[in-house]
Amino acid sequence: MAEKLIPITLKVNGREYKVEVKPNETLLFVLRNKLNIKSVKGSCYRGECGVCTVLLNGKPVKSCLVLAVEADGAEITTLEGLAPFGTLAPIQKAFLEHGAFQCGFCTSGFILTAHWLLTHNPDATEEEIKEAISGLICRCTGYKQIIEAIKAAAKYYKQDKQKQ
Amino acid sequence: MAVSKSVIVFHTLLPEFEYFRPKTLQEALELLDKYQGDAKVMAGGTGLLFFMRLRWMQAKYVIDIKGIKELHTIKYEEGKGLTVGATVTLSELFENEIVKNKYPILWDGIRQLADMHIRNRATLVGNLCFGMPSADTAPALLTLKAKLNVVSVNGTRTIELKDFFKGEGKTALKPNEMVTSVFIPEPPEGAKGRYLKFVRTADDGPIMGIAVLVANPRDPAKRIVRIAFSNVVSTPIIIDEVEELFKQDKPLGELAEEAIKLIKSKVTPKSDVRGSRELREHLMEYGTRYLLKTLIEG
Ligand SMILES: Cc1cc2nc3c(=O)[nH]c(=O)nc-3n(C[C@H](O)[C@H](O)[C@H](O)COP(=O)(O)OP(=O)(O)OC[C@H]3O[C@@H](n4cnc5c(N)ncnc54)[C@H](O)[C@@H]3O)c2cc1C
Ligand code: FES
Ligand code: FES
Repeated sequence: MAEKLIPITLKVNGREYKVEVKPNETLLFVLRNKLNIKSVKGSCYRGECGVCTVLLNGKPVKSCLVLAVEADGAEITTLEGLAPFGTLAPIQKAFLEHGAFQCGFCTSGFILTAHWLLTHNPDATEEEIKEAISGLICRCTGYKQIIEAIKAAAKYYKQDKQKQ
Repeated sequence: MAVSKSVIVFHTLLPEFEYFRPKTLQEALELLDKYQGDAKVMAGGTGLLFFMRLRWMQAKYVIDIKGIKELHTIKYEEGKGLTVGATVTLSELFENEIVKNKYPILWDGIRQLADMHIRNRATLVGNLCFGMPSADTAPALLTLKAKLNVVSVNGTRTIELKDFFKGEGKTALKPNEMVTSVFIPEPPEGAKGRYLKFVRTADDGPIMGIAVLVANPRDPAKRIVRIAFSNVVSTPIIIDEVEELFKQDKPLGELAEEAIKLIKSKVTPKSDVRGSRELREHLMEYGTRYLLKTLIEG
């Protein structure tokens, strides 16, 4: 079967990209290999590890289980989107300060998920934090520092909420 | 078609297929009718793409139903029940107050299904149509006597959930049929329920699960007890006779033990890598006793 290319538009980190994709190319594949956005990682390719996490229309999803064609017209945020001018976001700083990563392979997924959680629920309890990151695997840190970093970053999100 | 699951070949790419995103139900049904078994409906894709990558499922044509607006509806009618459309995600249901307050047994099943990232894509109807014995929402929906609304170019029909599962990965759907929604009747007055899932580790597939629904335990005339399981045999199952048994006017402790005996006589659990038949037998007994006790006393 000759696969035809389908033109789609993706809005990634506020910037619009027009790209042609095959039906069987995942969002993960297109972000990395066609748009050259390398913070999004691939490992299990079947929804189990979470290193491919992006925010799709604002919600954390695993981009290895999303077809690129399905995301036509969608807004996508990757890690790069949290530091648009090169200044680290509070959640990124908190990860640095708490030693919440070692090899860093899982970090983008954790930070995007934490960013989503704290934006919606800056008062998240430890239980809620654990629940939110339960679909993400980190083979280095043992999770403790990650949870501490997320807790520490919560105060910035609370201040943001108060300002609104 | 059938590929042995004992051999896992690691593919990073999906096989080739043609993709359709119909805007109307009619269009989707015509495609399904045209391509029959060569086409697969895709809702969240978390089961389909996962299995296609492993080459455990094949489709020349993928019909994405997320563009069909009428399928994205949650409708609740007091006293009647809840209708959940085929593209409603598990996260949407998890955050829904009606589900949380009126259908806690289902909410409990959703809570234990995969993780938030997967639930943001996965649908309730997809969980049932996937046809896995381990479907985490199935036991709760069996105790609630859910029904599936099914359509094809030939018309509509309703399938009781208990008649829907036909073995691992198999359902009562014909190749040109799809499910538009699941109808979940209003739970019995005063009903409480829980789903308990047993796992080896948090990120592994389940050993098995149990859903128990209890209403008016102290009043034999109005007492309703229903028990259903995931992953003990090749489909999710409800043990119908349990409801009858609990109508008897006997001490609850005695009835609980009789129910356990009955379940063991009706179900011979499977053995697989996640648990032996003996382990599943033990968990069926332990889980049933534990949930009955908690729901009756708590
Ligand atoms: C990492 C991971 C973890 C998981 N953990 C769990 C778990 O803990 N518990 C669990 O129960 N499941 C689990 N699953 C399986 C899967 O996520 C769920 O079954 C999910 O609910 C499927 O829904 P979906 O909308 O993604 O279905 P899809 O993948 O879109 O479809 C699944 C199947 O159903 C068919 N289908 C879908 N919708 C319809 C329809 N309307 N009419 C007819 N056929 C239809 C498709 O053709 C396909 O065969 C997991 C999957 C992954 C990848
Ligand atoms: S690569 Fe997507 S979850 Fe592992
Ligand atoms: S920091 Fe290495 S996997 Fe998490």
